[in-house]
Amino acid sequence: MGGGEPGAGEAVLSLDAVTKLFGATAAVDRASLEIRRGEVFTLLGPSGCGKTTTLRLVAGLEHLDAGEITLRGRVVASTRRRLFVPPHKRNLGMVFQSYAIWPHMTVLDNVAYPLELRGTRRAIIREKVSRVLGLVGLEGLETRSATLLSGGQMQRLALCRALVYEPDLLLLDEPFSNLDAKLREQMRVEVKLLQRRLGITVLFVTHDQIEALSLSDRIAVMQRGRVEQVGPPRHLYEAPASAFVRDFLGQTVLLRGRVAKRLPGEPSAAIVVELDGALAGCSLAGRAAPGIALAAGADAHVAIRPEDIAVTPADARSPGHAPGGAKDDLRAGRRWEQGDEAMVPAPADNVLAGAIEALLFVGDRYEAQVSLGGEHRIQLLLPRASDWREGQPLRLVFPPDAVSVWPA
Amino acid sequence: MAGLTPSIALARPRRVELSSVLCSAVLGLVAFCVVFPVLLVVVQSFEVSSPGQPSAYGLSGWRAAFGEPGLRTALVNTLTVTLVRQVLSLPAAILIAWLLARTDLPGRSWIEFGFWAAFFLPGFTVTLSWILLLDPEYGLVNTSLAALPFVRKGPFNIYSFWGIVWVHVLTGSLTVKVILLTPAFRNMNASFEEASRVAGASTLRTALRITVPVMAPAILSVLLLGTMVSLQTFEVEQVLGLPFRFFVFSTMIYDLLVTRVPRYDAATALAVVVLLAMLPLVGAQQWLTRGRRYTTITGQFQNLPHHLGRWRTPALVLVLLVLALVLGVPVVFALLGTFMKLFGFFHIQDPWTLDNWSTVLTDELFLRSLQNTLILATGTAVAAVLLHSLVAYIAVRTRYAGRRALDVISWLPFTVPGVILGLALLWMFLGVAALRPLYGTTWLLIIAGVIAGMPLGVQIIKSGLLQLGAELEEASRIAGASWWATYRRIVLRLMAPTLMAVGMITFVGAARNIGNFALLSTSANRPLSILQLDYIAQRKFEEAVVVAFIIMLISLGGALLARLLGLRHV
Repeated sequence: MGGGEPGAGEAVLSLDAVTKLFGATAAVDRASLEIRRGEVFTLLGPSGCGKTTTLRLVAGLEHLDAGEITLRGRVVASTRRRLFVPPHKRNLGMVFQSYAIWPHMTVLDNVAYPLELRGTRRAIIREKVSRVLGLVGLEGLETRSATLLSGGQMQRLALCRALVYEPDLLLLDEPFSNLDAKLREQMRVEVKLLQRRLGITVLFVTHDQIEALSLSDRIAVMQRGRVEQVGPPRHLYEAPASAFVRDFLGQTVLLRGRVAKRLPGEPSAAIVVELDGALAGCSLAGRAAPGIALAAGADAHVAIRPEDIAVTPADARSPGHAPGGAKDDLRAGRRWEQGDEAMVPAPADNVLAGAIEALLFVGDRYEAQVSLGGEHRIQLLLPRASDWREGQPLRLVFPPDAVSVWPA
Repeated sequence: MAGLTPSIALARPRRVELSSVLCSAVLGLVAFCVVFPVLLVVVQSFEVSSPGQPSAYGLSGWRAAFGEPGLRTALVNTLTVTLVRQVLSLPAAILIAWLLARTDLPGRSWIEFGFWAAFFLPGFTVTLSWILLLDPEYGLVNTSLAALPFVRKGPFNIYSFWGIVWVHVLTGSLTVKVILLTPAFRNMNASFEEASRVAGASTLRTALRITVPVMAPAILSVLLLGTMVSLQTFEVEQVLGLPFRFFVFSTMIYDLLVTRVPRYDAATALAVVVLLAMLPLVGAQQWLTRGRRYTTITGQFQNLPHHLGRWRTPALVLVLLVLALVLGVPVVFALLGTFMKLFGFFHIQDPWTLDNWSTVLTDELFLRSLQNTLILATGTAVAAVLLHSLVAYIAVRTRYAGRRALDVISWLPFTVPGVILGLALLWMFLGVAALRPLYGTTWLLIIAGVIAGMPLGVQIIKSGLLQLGAELEEASRIAGASWWATYRRIVLRLMAPTLMAVGMITFVGAARNIGNFALLSTSANRPLSILQLDYIAQRKFEEAVVVAFIIMLISLGGALLARLLGLRHV
């Protein structure tokens, strides 16, 4: 197996303007997606965004109201062609949120079931079952009643049952949500290793951004039935296409202001924003958020990931090179230089002053609430390596390349 | 029933597959067996020509029915008996169900089984037991009281309105409510109650302010079910009401049918009235039990029982007393009755004998009827499990266009008085040439039994299916199993205990069924339940009592088996 570079191969599954209505509301609204061979593709979004419905449409457990679903070049559901292939003829594997392990069967029976339905010979069934159980460390439990397994074992069994017949596509419906935090992390690694080893294509549904970011080759962020953005995890994180994606993934520091002027230069032209309230008189430069035009004078939000802000004690002289927060500062500094090269001149130094209001030591780092003056407060993570104290004045450098400007 | 039209089924892209063919076959079969006879009843009510003559239609049957002198009284009687039964039994049932499900009442699981067993007792046998005790002249309670000083005559008369209500409350009304409400109370999310307790409410206050209101949909649904059952009752009024000319709807219909010239038109017109009165009740019942109104009830909580404290003993005594009335008295006196030389006469010299048993057990007629009953009940149970589970599954789990229609049809047998349903089936089997050979065979009774048991059977299986996560089936579909393979290999296996229990309930139902079989059976296929009526008609009261007791034994055996097979939820 192993289809080469994940995400670069042929399309295993494509959705074309798929719509599913529940009453008058569209649970899935003209969603179009393409999942390529060997990749882990994740549908991510808050509950009720339509991700599970999308998965069930792919599985054939729901009937679509418009659009077309193609699986390995074969149309499996289409309103135009009045076509619907029932779930048992789609050759998919699926792990359910509740695992759906059949309680009246043993471990062996559960895994053998799909093979029996495919007319596999007894001897081959035994061999395949023990091989797949071996993959996840369940060997030797064949005769155990499925109800006597622990949560983690049930999950592994569900995975075995879905993989044993080598389906074209593996569907995972929030499979980790019923596990405790430790086990969840462990299973995440296990699934990723197994997927890489077998080269299987996976469509994964979750509302947990950490799961999505860590497991996926590509992610589709969904909201209100619509696909907001599709891309590799890092791309979504660093270049969100909408405010929803920006706020749903990770932390964001937001400051309100008004567009002062657009600096000349083409698509990634920098915008200078004059901040509001207690920060009046200060301004920050950043790039315009993708695909959004902002006129001078328009209300705007300045957004930056907190870890992109270079933080140094205000008394340290050299900007961006405090002896303490070495790693963050270095990265920020480098980015800034890159930003310079990309012709984003900083009108001011893109620096704000702040002071630590509250400081929480959480083990591997500090969490700090930093006041920028007046009502402006932001949450930052500070490295453990330096000494921080409450009330300490800070110098906050906003590298222009890491700053994005959005309409308010 | 709009789902029946094929154009709607075709409007959406859907595969023409084995599954929809099978669903349509089931719908067709059920519609033929249920809707067709019901339509026959409606048509017959407008039929004015006498049997054998060419058909002519008119309203004379309806006029006769409404002109019937006793109609007004029967209507009032039906409604008052129904109302009084519900009013008396509901509060008692709620109290008992709450005690059994949510308190530390000692022996509660055994007591619950006692009510379960009482639910299975045949109403006819129980009525006979109470006659032994409350007959105005010879009833044991009355004669004992008369022996006391200053009491000239025993105060109780079973042949009265209150006698009928008393027997009804103790046979159907109370037990069915207890066994339906207890599991519902048990499955209620305990955190509602716990929140109330923490907020400072006492146990009693919590029960009244939180538990009962939260359970309102379940209670209302049980109440509706009870009302529907009471509107249909037949045996008790037939035995206790006739001596003092007390008629309710069902006995009046029966009366119109068994006169020398049967008045089919008037009888069916009355049946249509009952049907029309029932339909809104069925609708309300369905509305209540559908969808999210039941979602407060989840089964994942470890419910700690309330401590009754000093109320423990009084509560136990009360519940045991009720259990003695609904289970102990009927069984003991039904047994005693079988040993009496003259049924009901305790005061004659040497009243006891074994002759009744030896007469019955050596009677060729009895042995044939016993055999008929066993074949009939077994056949009904097997057929009912197959058909009812398919109907329930299609209604709950498929997207088949006709599933709502199927759901509604499964309720229909409940809306037609049993005697009339039997009569309609008779017409159907005599009227359709292909079915005529079945007349006089046990098959006919089996079909009647399956139809009569359909509302309850489908309902129980439906609630079992709803508790079974849909993902277990979806996983099977994804794994490559067709609809039918999933049904056989996952659903049927997982539902096995519930299905066994439905089988037992249907078995018992068929063994004690009188109403549906009264007009359907012939001397060739006569079951025990009809034999006891025949014995009574021949004034062989003692033999009838022995047969009634045997039916009771069969019923109790069925109850025990169903319980052992694991039916804990209905």
